[in-house]
Amino acid sequence: MSASRDRILAAAKANKPEELPLPEVPLFGGDATAERFTTVLAGIGGTVVWLDGLESLAPTVQQLFPEAQNTASALFRGTVPVDAQTPTGILAAIDLAVLQGEIGVAENGAIWLPEANMLHRALPTITQHLALVLDRRRLVATMHQAYAQLPGTGGYGKFVAGPSKTADIEQSLVIGAHGARSLVVLLY
Amino acid sequence: MSHAIRADKFLLDADRTTWHDETLWFVREKRDRAVYAVPEFQELRELASQIKNHTLSRLDLYLQEFEAAAQANGVHVHWAADAAEHNAIILDIIKKQGATRVVKSKSMLTEECHLNPYLIQHGVEVVDTDLGERIIQFRDEAPSHIVLPAIHLKKEDVGDTFHTHLGTAKGESDPQRLTEAARQHLRSKFVAGEVAISGVNFAIAETGAVVVCTNEGNADLGVNLARVHIAAMGIEKIIPRLTDLGVFTRLLARSATGQPVTTYTSHFAKPAPDKEMHIVIVDNGRTQQLGRPDFRASLKCIRCGACMNTCPVYRRSGGHSYDFTVPGPIGAILSPNIDMKKHASLPFASTLCGSCTDVCPVKIDIHTQLYKWRQVLGEANEIPASKKWGMKFMGRVLASTRVYGLGGQFARRALRLLPHGLTHAPSFNAWAVARELPEAPKQSFREWYAKQPQPAPQPQSQVPA
Repeated sequence: MSASRDRILAAAKANKPEELPLPEVPLFGGDATAERFTTVLAGIGGTVVWLDGLESLAPTVQQLFPEAQNTASALFRGTVPVDAQTPTGILAAIDLAVLQGEIGVAENGAIWLPEANMLHRALPTITQHLALVLDRRRLVATMHQAYAQLPGTGGYGKFVAGPSKTADIEQSLVIGAHGARSLVVLLY
Repeated sequence: MSHAIRADKFLLDADRTTWHDETLWFVREKRDRAVYAVPEFQELRELASQIKNHTLSRLDLYLQEFEAAAQANGVHVHWAADAAEHNAIILDIIKKQGATRVVKSKSMLTEECHLNPYLIQHGVEVVDTDLGERIIQFRDEAPSHIVLPAIHLKKEDVGDTFHTHLGTAKGESDPQRLTEAARQHLRSKFVAGEVAISGVNFAIAETGAVVVCTNEGNADLGVNLARVHIAAMGIEKIIPRLTDLGVFTRLLARSATGQPVTTYTSHFAKPAPDKEMHIVIVDNGRTQQLGRPDFRASLKCIRCGACMNTCPVYRRSGGHSYDFTVPGPIGAILSPNIDMKKHASLPFASTLCGSCTDVCPVKIDIHTQLYKWRQVLGEANEIPASKKWGMKFMGRVLASTRVYGLGGQFARRALRLLPHGLTHAPSFNAWAVARELPEAPKQSFREWYAKQPQPAPQPQSQVPA
């Protein structure tokens, strides 16, 4: 182990204050309805579309994104097969990715997307448009409840709340910075 | 050069100063609306504060827990005592890859360590991929805000910069079209990136994962396309458990920009197959700050920038006037720890109004620490002689009724008689540079009061109020 490691740890030990307790974090309550989730997601630039059932997924996607040429999905047959080994050049040409989201948070519109559902780690951000499919029974009120329901965060995983955006130029909100230009959540 | 002198330069353009002030106040108002929408917001602040206090009180143990968990995940963990070691470790990783193209997402720590110029000097191309960071990188400037790095620039400035560096049309100032140009430009950099460097918002001791929060998705895009991910974190980024993250993710974006959460809250724990992940844990003065009881709470900071957006001095002096990686109120308490002499004027760049403390999501007593730094700097002889002797003199005057009365008499006469050029000589009276002196009254309050008839004694009320 490095000398710096030992020095840093020794200094942290010597300089830290007397031990203080770690509080328990309550789950809090809150509104976990699809209405709340829909309103908040719209406020951050995303859209909710209701699915009658998973069997209507492919036609709904076709209707929503008629111009998408290169599509990738684990849920129906896309036009581009993607896995963890797919080269960057192919990923960069994908117009639409349709992936399964696991948990939706009503308070902030975020959806948990674990690595296992991504096909490739870069797919959810490199695709031009992203659609996340979500079971309405997996809506929770806040982040506390979301983390409480997660078995863990795995090797990689993320909460996605709306399309990629920026306000770095004079605080003007621009949708579509580097990642997906739009986010549609398909609730069923 | 003191903060006040650098702020003078910013203030030369009065319209721009007003615009800067209003833009940041707009962000502060968005923050307020987001905060009032969460009924338990104050409870969350208290929880966040207690979690951070607890973590600092066991910092060495949590760092070791984090290291062990990260290593079990297959991550290489490095330790850097200072900026030089941090930079050397990162260059070494890049060199071992034989790489020359690095994409970087936002990290105030790498700014603090001056990583970019170091890598460039060693032949590495470093591209900042956050839009605001890319803009200022083109302009060869430092960020003027930790969350909104280019907040000091107008869209016309960005248009000029992009015209020069990206070939956009001359005079183009539409944010949508400028952002689109940056998107195309940066996508080519992401696709070509060999090594990706990111900062760390939170590091979870329990799982060994680092959490990175962005709105643009640039960290995710960079890291997931490159072969190697290097995450640079200060030792204070640790939180104990995954459940603690629920508290901080509810506070961070609401406090920063008034959003309910950042677009991407990404948890990086293990490298993808055939790829590498490195975490560089950096001290650079933090353990020393931990050892200063009056100032250690500054290590609780989660870098949301709320204190800057609300600060009346920051809003009217601009981030560059602080000449420190982290400007504004929090920067003014972090910087003297790094270099007391160089940053001696920063704790005075405050009205002590306490607004920073009111909005801080982890309840750092910022304005109290600013006040305490002033005492420390005074005792260490790091304040200008004019201010020091002026304060000493005023202390004497205010301590004695007789001297105060005489001084008042003298001042009333002097104000009437002395020429404006003398009372407003900048070298003699810095206070009057931007202020008019009051018109001197003929008599003092005490003189007036002594001439008033004695009031009749009031009957004592028998009924309790």
